[in-house]
This record gives sequence, C-alpha cells and structure tokens, in this order.
Amino acid sequence: MSAAPTPLLRVAGLQKLFPIRKGFLKRTAGYVRAVDGVSFHIDEGETLGLVGESGCGKTTTARCVLRAIEPTAGEIFMRVANGSVVELGQLRPAELRALRREMQMIFQDPFTSLNPRMTLLDLVGEPLLVHGMKSRREREERVADLLRRVGLRPEYMRRFPHAFSGGERQRIGIARALALHPRLVVADEPVSALDVSVQAQILNLLVDLQADLRLTYLFVAHDLSVVRHISNRVAVMYVGRMVELAKTDELYRAPRHPYTAALLSAAPEPDPRVRSRRLMLQGEVANPAAPPGGCYFHPRCPYAIDVCRTETPAWQEISPAHFVGCHRAHELQLAGVE
Amino acid sequence: MTREPLLSVRNLKTYFIQDEGLVKAVDGVSFDVAEGVTLGIVGESGCGKSVTARSILRIVDRPGRIVEGEIHFRRPSANGGPGRTVDLATLEPNGAEMRAIRGAEIALIFQEPMSSFSPVHTIGSQIVEAIRLHQPGGRREARDKTIELLRRVGVSSPEERVDQLSNQLSGGMRQRAMIAMALSCHPTLLIADEPTTALDVTTQTQILELMRQLQQEDGMAIMLITHDLGVIATMATDVAVMYLGRVVEQAPVDAIFHAPLHPYTRALLRSIPRIRSRARLVPIAGAVPHPYDRPTGCPFHPRCAEFKAGTCDRQEPRLTRIGDHHTVSCFLYE
Repeated sequence: MSAAPTPLLRVAGLQKLFPIRKGFLKRTAGYVRAVDGVSFHIDEGETLGLVGESGCGKTTTARCVLRAIEPTAGEIFMRVANGSVVELGQLRPAELRALRREMQMIFQDPFTSLNPRMTLLDLVGEPLLVHGMKSRREREERVADLLRRVGLRPEYMRRFPHAFSGGERQRIGIARALALHPRLVVADEPVSALDVSVQAQILNLLVDLQADLRLTYLFVAHDLSVVRHISNRVAVMYVGRMVELAKTDELYRAPRHPYTAALLSAAPEPDPRVRSRRLMLQGEVANPAAPPGGCYFHPRCPYAIDVCRTETPAWQEISPAHFVGCHRAHELQLAGVE
Repeated sequence: MTREPLLSVRNLKTYFIQDEGLVKAVDGVSFDVAEGVTLGIVGESGCGKSVTARSILRIVDRPGRIVEGEIHFRRPSANGGPGRTVDLATLEPNGAEMRAIRGAEIALIFQEPMSSFSPVHTIGSQIVEAIRLHQPGGRREARDKTIELLRRVGVSSPEERVDQLSNQLSGGMRQRAMIAMALSCHPTLLIADEPTTALDVTTQTQILELMRQLQQEDGMAIMLITHDLGVIATMATDVAVMYLGRVVEQAPVDAIFHAPLHPYTRALLRSIPRIRSRARLVPIAGAVPHPYDRPTGCPFHPRCAEFKAGTCDRQEPRLTRIGDHHTVSCFLYE
C-alpha cells in the first residue's frame, strides 16, 4: 500500500486570540480565546464539515485558514498546484496574493456580500481582472461559462444583483468564487440565509460542482442535517476547541463526545413520531473570554467527573481516524442517530 | 368538542398598498385555534405568516391594512364561563378594547429578543410596566410578581436579573425574560413568531421545552409561527402550511408529515435535509416569486410538479375538506 497522499490543507495548533481592551488607555485586560489550538487536515476532493454553536470559533477558524485574519499562533500548510507544500505564514504578501486564486470563499448572506452597484459581469469578472485577464471579450466568455455552470442564464450578465432571488444571488456568489479555478473553497453557512425550498438546490449544486471540478470544501455550518448531507468528515467545535472529528456517518451514528451527542439529540427532526427523549443540556455556552478550567464543556456535561474540572482533555485517536477530546471517551456509551 | 374555537380567522386579507404596486401579503386566510392547543403556522419568507400574526394583534404597519375578513376571538370572562366573542378586525387598533386584549389576553413573543426589549430600561421595569398596565396592584407587588415570573421561566438569580439591562443577558436568558413578560397577564393565546430562530440549537431545545411546560401548567393556546419544520414537528398539535398569503393545507401534525396532500407540502418535506439520511435532496424548482409578481390562479403553479395547464394558472383553487380535520387548497382534490 502506498503512503496516503499529502493532504491539500493541514492546520496545526491554530490559535486566534482577540484582545479585550478596557479603560481610557485601552490596556489589554484579557483575551477572547476564539480559536484555541485547533488541528485538522483536508484531503483533496474532500468536504470537511465544521459545526458548532455561535461563538465556538468555526468562522474564525475558516477565516484564519484563508488568512483573511492573521492567526495568533499555529501553522497552515497548503499543497499548491505544482505539488509543493507551503506554510501560509511564511509567505511574502505577493506570494500569498498569488496563492489566493487557489482558495476562495462563499459567504452566508447573498444580500450583503454582493456589491449592489456592480452587474453580474463585473461581480463575477472582477477576480479575473484582478488576476490578469485584461481582455473584456475573454472575460465575458468566461463569465458566461461560469453562470451556466451555476445554473444561471448568461443573458442575465448585465443585470444587477437586486433583480435576483436569494438562491440566485447565492449562485452568483458561487460563480464569483469559482472564477479563478480554486482548489480549496471555504463556505461559511452558505445556505442558512436561504428559504428551505431553495437550500436543497444550492446544496445539490455544491455537490455537483465538487464532482465536476474536483473541489475541496471546508464547509462551516450550524445545522447538523445540512452538514451530514455534504460532508465526508465532520469536526465539532466548542468554545474555540475541537471536541470531536470523525467520518460523517460514524460521528452521527456513534458520537464519542457528550457535546456531539447533545447536539445530535437537540436538532429538532421534521417528524412528529420521533419526538425523542432529548438529552437536554443545562446552562449555556461558556464565555470564551473567561472559559471554565479543565474541559470547557464540564459545567454542562452530564458525565463530568473531578478530572474534567481540572485538566484539559487530550486530543486522542480513539479509533482509526476518529478523534475526540474527552477524559471519559473510552467508557461512555452515547446515543447517536441512525 | 362542540365549543367554538378560541380564535377563528375567516378569509383574512391584509394588503399593503404602495406606489410600486399592491402587495397581497395575506390573501384570504382562514384557520381556527382551539383552546389549549398549539397551531403551527409554517411557510417560507413572504408567505404572510408574520403579517397574519400582526393582523390578529392589529399592529400591522402602514401602508398595510386589513381589507377584508373576520378575526373572531373569544374573550375570557371574569367568572370562568364562556366568554364573549369579538371580531378583532372591526376594533379600533388603538381603542380601549383592543388595548385590553393585546398584551394581556393575546400575548406575543418575537424572534429577536435583542430588539424587543428597550436597551435603556431594566428587564424588570419593562415587565412591571406590562403587569401594571393590565392588572390592579402597586409597584411593589408587580415587582414581586416579576421576580416570581422570571424564576418560573428559568432565569437564574432573578432577584439580580430583574435590575439588569437586556444587553447584560444572553440570548437564551433574554428570550426567557420575553416569555415571562408575555405570560405576566395570563394570556389565553400566545403568539410566538419564530421564537427560537435566533438561538443556538441547545438553547432552542430549552426554550421549546419551557414553552411546552408553561402551556401544560397554564392551558393557553399557542400559535407558533416558524419556517422550521423540525420545530413544528416537535411542538404543534395542528399545522397550517402557508404559501404566498394563503393557507394551502391544514391538518393535524401527524397527517401533515405522514399523509400530506398539497403538492407544496409534499415537495417541502422532500426538499429538507434530514439528520438521519445522506440521500440526494429533491429541491423545489424556482424560487418564491416576488410579491409584486404574484402568479395568477394557484400561487404555487409555476413551481408545481403536478401543474395542469388551463386550470391551475387560470382559476384559484378553493379550500376543500378531506376527512374531518384535513383541508387542502388544490385542484387535485376538487
């Protein structure tokens, strides 16, 4: 058996602290630990789902990966088109700019992420122009091709985004992200602002584009049903830390972290016959500016014991390719969903 | 079971008359809410579910106005006997009777707990104000009642929270305080408009459970408005499915999910991702039309898989009764 190919993206020990400034002199009074030691990789052509509740650091993680914000610590390795591996933090600005063609982002809100004064041609063509496609005719051809790919009619390219519905605008955002033939696409809640009947269209489109263009996705979302549909593997975050990472079906069927199990059981299912016995969590998400000691989840965890209050659980591979950060992972029997 | 329903909406039409055109936000909606049950109203953006709620409370913003229809609400009587029924649609929006009903007999909780409290008054003073507006008694008494209410809805250390501003509370705590305020005058009908949409899923579970528990204790009816079919399946006794200002189907919750009749209901259920499956989704074609461009005939016909040319695009389907508790508005059943 040959060695596994180098992953497209590898993140090691990623950390992002935001200073809290207080008083007249704006002295730093502490830090919000938005992302606190997160490591994962994504293979080429794969989708990694990143889930968690608001404030868990999933969006900050995604933005650090794209270097849209500068991480405080940690390394991000990307295998570039020629096969060599680069660490994003080591790159000079010009090198980073060139690399950005290979990593693109799809945003949550198609109403605010598109400039209302630009036509589709300008919106989708802008990245082409920035990266050197000077000929207008060439750009028009490429934009027409991109619009067709995302299911929009090329005749519409001289219209403005306000003429389109939410789902269509999200298609425009996707076309723009795909303009430069990226290899890694970071999608941050790409369907959560859309009507339910339109969500399915966009999810199917993302799946088809991935197959056609061999894209790699980092898919950030809070909805576990949506994530199950699109991801090969899923990572769960809680207060800036990753608590579990596994293959999608395994994570849903047999979660090993109590927080994952609680999230799965909290998701309301569209079937009145499974008004299930909910594992209801007490209390609320910890404050990332003043997290509790030990495991951040212990104040809400029904299985917490003494060691959980004092020691940070190690990130361990509990079964092949199944990672979990929980002191009691080996002994707990947790229920998932079939 | 022959008692008349608590709330009975008949052929309600609320239109927004604007320079750009006429928006028929609610266009002939009829449904009943029985005492003590939960009616779920589900639909996508622009289906008129929130305007329906605002019409019942008579707080539709201008230029919107109720142009037709009746909203019969049975008011509680002092001695516990059957109350008097009034048509809310005929009342003066700011008249004495509507003000006595709104906030007291019919209470409302909104989606955004952040913006529904005043940021410059304490949580307590706002609940005290609501209590004193509708009930006799002094400030001291109202404050004690407020602390008791906050405790009942699960706000931690209510004696301190009562003097805090809304921005000092988390999203979940704020929604609990909102519920406390809504329940302060013992409503017989609670209208909850997307009450958990802004909340995280673990907090959502807590709030839904709280609403269910309070309903069991107080016996109020709940009209739960949401786009989330999961929330509907968890909470509702009966469901009305709305599309572009109309109720297209109404039935008990089990029938809606396991024997849906309207093509829109069926397509909606097929299109939603489910936590137990990875099968490819079956989307509904197209998008909800813009309100100025309302299709003729059945409003769903341009997206309908069972569209019949010459019928669905020309005539409007009537609400047809199929069985005792199931109504549907579609030519397949006429």
